[in-house]
Parts: sequence; C-alpha cells; structure tokens
Amino acid sequence: MGITCEEVWRDISDYIDDELAPKQRAALDEHFVECRHCTAVLEGTCNVIRLYRDERVLAPPQGFHHRLEGRINQELSQGSQASQESVVTMRPSRRAVLAWALCAAAAVPLGFALFSRKTFTLPGFHHLDPPDSPVTGLVAVSQDTGEKLFHIPSCPYLHGKPKFLPVQEALHEGYTPCPVCVGKRKLEKKG
Amino acid sequence: MPSCSPSAGTENRAPNDGKRVAEQVLISRILAGEKDLFLELVRPYQRTVYATVISMLGSKEDAEDVAQDALLKALAHLHQFRRESAFGTWLIQIAINEARMRRRKLRHGIMFSLTSEPDGDGAGAYIPKDFADWREIPSEALERSEIREALAKALASLEEHYRLTFILRDVNDLSIAETAHILGISPAAVKSRLRRARLMLRDILSPGLRSGGHMDLAFKEVRKPWE
Repeated sequence: MGITCEEVWRDISDYIDDELAPKQRAALDEHFVECRHCTAVLEGTCNVIRLYRDERVLAPPQGFHHRLEGRINQELSQGSQASQESVVTMRPSRRAVLAWALCAAAAVPLGFALFSRKTFTLPGFHHLDPPDSPVTGLVAVSQDTGEKLFHIPSCPYLHGKPKFLPVQEALHEGYTPCPVCVGKRKLEKKG
Repeated sequence: MPSCSPSAGTENRAPNDGKRVAEQVLISRILAGEKDLFLELVRPYQRTVYATVISMLGSKEDAEDVAQDALLKALAHLHQFRRESAFGTWLIQIAINEARMRRRKLRHGIMFSLTSEPDGDGAGAYIPKDFADWREIPSEALERSEIREALAKALASLEEHYRLTFILRDVNDLSIAETAHILGISPAAVKSRLRRARLMLRDILSPGLRSGGHMDLAFKEVRKPWE
C-alpha cells in the first residue's frame, strides 16, 4: 500500500473534486482497491454530496414562487404608481423645498436694497441719478475744503466733513452746483 | 471508484455559455422596462438563494422572507450588476448580505453547532469516525420529508463557516474560486473547510442513512455518533 489512510482522508475531498495531480490520484485509487475503510469513507462522502445536490433538499417551501410573484407584482405596481403620481402632482422633493426656502430668504434683503437704492449705497459704489432728473432734497457742501460747490451727497468729489442743506439754501449761501454730480440737472424750486 | 464531484475540475469547468447569454438577454430586456421577466430570470436560482439563506438563519419563515427580500433587492439593483461575474454569484452575495442583516436584527440566528471547534479553516486533519459501508441512497428516499429534515438538521449542526462553504460549493455548485471570492477567503481555505464539512456530514448522517435510505432516524438521537 503506497499511502496511508490519513493521507487518503487528507486528499479525499480533492479526489472527489478531481483536483489532484494524476500521480496522487493514482495513489489513492490504488489505496481504495485494498482498503475497505477508506472506500466506505469515499462512498459515504459521495452519498452525502449527491443527497444535498438533489433539488428536493433545502428546497423553498411550497408556494414560494407564487408568493414571490405576488411581492414582485406589488412592488412593480407601487413603483409605477409612485412615478405616475410624481409626474401628475410634481410633488417637490425635500431638497427642492430647501432650495426654494433659501432663494426666498436671499430675495428679502435683495429686494430691500433695490427699493431703497437712494439711501442704500454699498461701500465704494456711488450711484448717480439720471442726468435729466431734478436735484431734490438735501445737497451737501464741504465744511473743510472751503470750496463753494454743493454736491449730491454721494458725489465722489465731495471731500471733508459734509454739511447738508436744502438746494435753495445752498444757492442762497453762494454755493454753485458741482459740474460732475449736478451738472445740467434742474434744481428743485422752493415752494 | 465513485464519481460524485459537483463540478469536476473546478477551475476548468466549462461555463454554460448558452445559459449565460440567455440571462444577459433577459437582463437587458428587464433593464429596458420588461420588469415582469424578472421572475423568469430568477426562477432557476430560487432554491440556490433559499438554501443559502436557510443555512444561515435556520428558521424556515425567516428564510423565505429573507430570500424574497434578496430577490426583490436584486430587481431593484439590477442596473448595478456588473456582467463580468455570473448572475447567480451576484444573487448569492445579495442573499448572504440580507441574511446577515436579518440575523443582526433578530439576534436569534446563532445556530447551535455540534462541531464546536475554534473558528479556523479546518486545515487540521479530520479523522472519520464511522467506517461502515454505506450503500447509495435511492432517489425515492428523498420523497420522505423526514429524510430531507434529517439532512437539513445535519447541515445546521455544522459551524457556519463549514456550512456556508458546503452550501456554496456542493449545493449551489459554485467553483472553488467563486466560493473563495464570495467568502473572502483563499481557495486553499475553501478546500480545507469543504473537506471537513463533507467528512463531518458523512459521520453525522451515516448511522441513520447507510441502510439505503430506510433509516430509523437513529440520527436524530445520535448526532455525534463517535462520542
């Protein structure tokens, strides 16, 4: 006998799977001819594998396929219903709602800025009225430079500490319109 | 000598190209909208999925529920199936994940093992305990529910790493490489576990089944005949 029973038991699974080299396989074949115990182990192991491979063993219970079909159909009908509803009602997702809320929140200060543009000037930004609109309200004169010009309060040529006064009063005090910010614009008449 | 290999020559196993092509066609049609074909696609794998799940959970009710959940999940994620692997292998991976998730939820899925040993690859020598002759079981014997139950109980008595290796290789007919891939172990470890699982099952079942399937169910009382 070329190999021992222990060696056979070690390789018997690979023998069944035909994973052994030809020489090794031949050695086991030779052993099986002479060893009744190892032959019994081999045949019993083959019986085990054959039994478990049978479709009836570990088979799904009766009605499994039918119940699966029911669940799949239910799932598919729910899926198509949901997609139809989403098309008809266009129900927004949570992300869309959040995005809309953020837009609305951003619109409030923006709208405020637009409607109050005469008093709201961003740093470094000097908005000027259209050239044909009359100069109304208060104008500004410089208390520091001594120049005898009056300006629109946002004029970039207004330097020093400003003093605000009505147009007519500025004219009365001898101030003349700034050629840049007032230019040829009409001046508000008193009364 | 008897030949009982699930698929002899594991690495060189001829792939069933016709079946695979037919599956690919079905998958393409399902993804194109013919979802009712899914049942046809998974019909050959229902036993595979169920056997895998029940070997992990034990309870028939949980196993059916989880097997169906796994198949529905496969339908929902079919677009993610990468076609370089076999569809059956992908399905089994989903089933194993679903069974593990269910077990975590239930916390009662720890199956009683009669083969208590440290969680290894079974690389050590296994000495068979029973050397009596065992005639081939006639196919008709499997019509008897008590024999099917006995087989299920014998399998459940193994530790999970042996049980799952045996299920994937000998019940689901996966190759050594596919089994190793799914379990995340080496092919050598698969072979070791498989050898031990097969020999243990034989030892557990021999006393009851060796009389040609006309068993007196002595197996039920003698789960560890060598003790």
